[in-house]
Amino acid sequence: MKFLKVALLFLLFPLLTGSTSAHKFYVSTTDIEYVAEKESLQIITKIFIDDIEQELRKRYDPSISLASKKETKADAELLKKNILQKLNISVNGKPVKMNYLGKEYDIETVKVYIEIEEVNSLNSIEVENKILMDIFPEQQNIIHLKTSSRRKSLILDIDNPKGLLKFN
Amino acid sequence: MKIVKYLSLVMLFLVAGMTYAQEDSTETRKPGHTNNNRFKQLYEEFSTPNMFRTASGAPGPQYYQQQADYVINVNLDDKNKKLSGSETITYTNNSPDVLEYLWVQLDQNVRAKDSKTPLIESSGATPADMAGSFVNTYMGNPYDGGFKIMEVKGPKGNPLPYTINQTMMRVEMPKKLQPSEKFIFSIKWWYNINNHVTDRARSGYEEFEDGNRGYVIAQFYPRMAVYNDVEGWQNSQFWGRDEFALPFGNFDVSITVPSDHILDATGVLQNRKDIYSKEMMDRYEQAKKSYDKPVIIVTQQEAEAASKGFSNNTRTWKFKAEMVRDYAFATSRRYIWDMMAVKIGDRDVMAVSLYPPEGNPLWEDYSTRLVASTLKSYSRMTFDYPYNKAISVNAKNQGMEYPMICWNYGRPDKDGTYSERTKYGMFGVIIHEVGHNYFPMIVNSDERQWTWMDEGINTFVQYVAEQDFGKTYPAAIAPNETYPSRRGPAKNIVNYMSGDQDQMAPIMTKGLNTYNFGSNAYAKPATGLNILRETIMGRDLFDYAFKTYAQRWMFKHPTPEDFFRTMEDASAVDLDWFWREWFYSTDYVDIGVKEVKTFYVTSKMSSQVRDMMEKRGMKESDLPPLVYMVEEGSEDFDESMKNSTLNDVTTLQEYIMDNMTPEERAALKSPKYFYEVTFEKPGGIPMPIIAEYTYSDGTTERVTYPPQIWRKNDTSVGKVIASDKEITKIMVDPDEETADIDTSNNSWPQRKKLGEFTKFKQDTEQD
Repeated sequence: MKFLKVALLFLLFPLLTGSTSAHKFYVSTTDIEYVAEKESLQIITKIFIDDIEQELRKRYDPSISLASKKETKADAELLKKNILQKLNISVNGKPVKMNYLGKEYDIETVKVYIEIEEVNSLNSIEVENKILMDIFPEQQNIIHLKTSSRRKSLILDIDNPKGLLKFN
Repeated sequence: MKIVKYLSLVMLFLVAGMTYAQEDSTETRKPGHTNNNRFKQLYEEFSTPNMFRTASGAPGPQYYQQQADYVINVNLDDKNKKLSGSETITYTNNSPDVLEYLWVQLDQNVRAKDSKTPLIESSGATPADMAGSFVNTYMGNPYDGGFKIMEVKGPKGNPLPYTINQTMMRVEMPKKLQPSEKFIFSIKWWYNINNHVTDRARSGYEEFEDGNRGYVIAQFYPRMAVYNDVEGWQNSQFWGRDEFALPFGNFDVSITVPSDHILDATGVLQNRKDIYSKEMMDRYEQAKKSYDKPVIIVTQQEAEAASKGFSNNTRTWKFKAEMVRDYAFATSRRYIWDMMAVKIGDRDVMAVSLYPPEGNPLWEDYSTRLVASTLKSYSRMTFDYPYNKAISVNAKNQGMEYPMICWNYGRPDKDGTYSERTKYGMFGVIIHEVGHNYFPMIVNSDERQWTWMDEGINTFVQYVAEQDFGKTYPAAIAPNETYPSRRGPAKNIVNYMSGDQDQMAPIMTKGLNTYNFGSNAYAKPATGLNILRETIMGRDLFDYAFKTYAQRWMFKHPTPEDFFRTMEDASAVDLDWFWREWFYSTDYVDIGVKEVKTFYVTSKMSSQVRDMMEKRGMKESDLPPLVYMVEEGSEDFDESMKNSTLNDVTTLQEYIMDNMTPEERAALKSPKYFYEVTFEKPGGIPMPIIAEYTYSDGTTERVTYPPQIWRKNDTSVGKVIASDKEITKIMVDPDEETADIDTSNNSWPQRKKLGEFTKFKQDTEQD
């Protein structure tokens, strides 16, 4: 029986009501799909805009503004820099080059698109995702890896920011 | 002869069935099982109906609820951020039970020095921290929060013994409290008011840049716990996550604050003439007659002037509130105040907003209008709003509800501009929090046990109210044509429901223990109700049943079962399967088209039937005239069959000529195409199969097969379709109404959808 599960996309409503301010949850999701015919790893990372904006403001410049008319090219560059700094991937035991393709805003989240090319086989993948962990110690970064035949997931947090998935 | 032939036909196919059974008997026998049909009624999960709560979901003839009336005097010390107070509680025992002790809730103790709340959360070391936070966490003394109880006295002024277990206090009465008796006792206390921004709490103060504070005060007095037929005493500890269970009662409250503060609270202001200036009274009288726009009672200029005052004088605001379950107030020098009248039924209700200049222009433009629109929507869905007013207070990072008053976030940037995100966040939270007046303030469910009963139901009506607001104020949501609600539409819950099962809990789980609190207790139940309304029951049946529930339980305490039973009772739509799947399990929806076979009709016996007959030693003459269905591509299939019509099927034509009049013949349909469609259900939750058939001439037709189609075949089910037009496409759930987590199997022929990633890459490469 076909059992295709769609990658987990986090429902985003941290600030909505009834004590949400007291109980905001800190999560991001990264979907990595291995497309063998294209020899590429297609990565989409979803992060709450409020959280990453706070991080960039603390780290770089309090006037940074994301997802609004005030966002400057420099702001976008800092977002890219921060993501690429905190997300590190090794394929088959070797570090790889990540191509940052761009980003898209939804009402509360930003989707960052990254591609890793020239992956002609996938035996193992090690993902380190420390996005937002320095500002939110309770941050959890969920990783979903999908190939044509398998689905595997990791939950990375401050104690375990790195995980290895093997495919043999 | 005819009868004999019919019997032979039955024998042919019956025996065929039995033959199959015999072939299977050589395998190992499966063990027996209990009734695990998904359409089984919920007898086992529900409690047995009784005199307190009926089987139809209504309060029973012996239904009771306790009452707690309060006379409260509090003093807010602005300089020292302290609140001190005294209260007299009159507790009426309407139950048939003898009560040995009373339980009183001390919510502030969640912040006490010895609070166990921080101990139950998992934490990790941070590589870097803000200096202030570091000091607070590792170097400073723990915050001195929590109630300092000065005295607890009985009706004659005698001290009462009491025991404090974290956030619950047990008070011993001089003698047991008999049914129908009242017990009157008093408490004196004070506590340090916390900063709700750094503390992330539901009440407290925020600091403004000019040194002023905005106070949003709630959970500020020791208050009675609920005693009922379901839980006994609801004295489950307040750990900080799940919310409150409270009895109804009448409040008489006097609040002393600095004399230059503007304050609003639950209830009716008793000494308006002492508090309001002449100017304010005039504006207030105007507001009472203003139904289409707010009137400003305290302007921004006045608020900014008052902010510089820092008066040392005080004055006392007096309120009375009837049949409320709690009490809260907001006070500050920096508040702007506006009000508008709303017609609800045959009464006028005041929609009120309190906000500092930091909230403008967003708050002046929208807050009170949102309050008014929300009251109208909710009144339409349930009952006319019974209180005299509803207040929306702007407080930083807040979203919390109390009777007649709520705190809401949403502030523009310093230059007055705001993003779409901020705007819709503010709209949504105001609608949601004002909506809470209905659930749980009036339909008073136990939030400590069932977060979803107020949050989920409220989020559902919020969706309806948001859509209404968008229609009433199209300019506010432009360029969107409909309000872009995040929670409500079925497809928005797909991401949550298709996720990691280890991170999911059923809706029917205590809030404290769930993961993904927002999705679990707010979005999923809200979406479930929306699916019932739009797809399973339809609006008429749903709205009537929902209103019945709300009206049965207004000013009472319902449980989930009362809701589930009422919805079925009032609509005659069997919903047990839906409650079980959507609320009691973490199952998901996945329905699709597995395959489609095309058949042609002939009067020539197919080889399949011939084989069956030979096995049984029957001859064709033993059977009545038959019509055979031949599958396209099978050995009996002949290309010429594609061009034939039913007129060519001799057995059929003979029958029609022999048995029907010319008028009857003329009225017959003439299908040309026969399909056997197999629908599959890889997901657990049954849903109606909404099938859209597209024909070769471009027209479409929708057929909805009720969910009961899955009752005997949980994983796949077939339907034979006879059509006079060729079907070129079949699409299941074309409007995405069923929260189907995987739509790749929803169309026939199968279509490959361009992936999200590839689409983005293509779009950016084109730029």
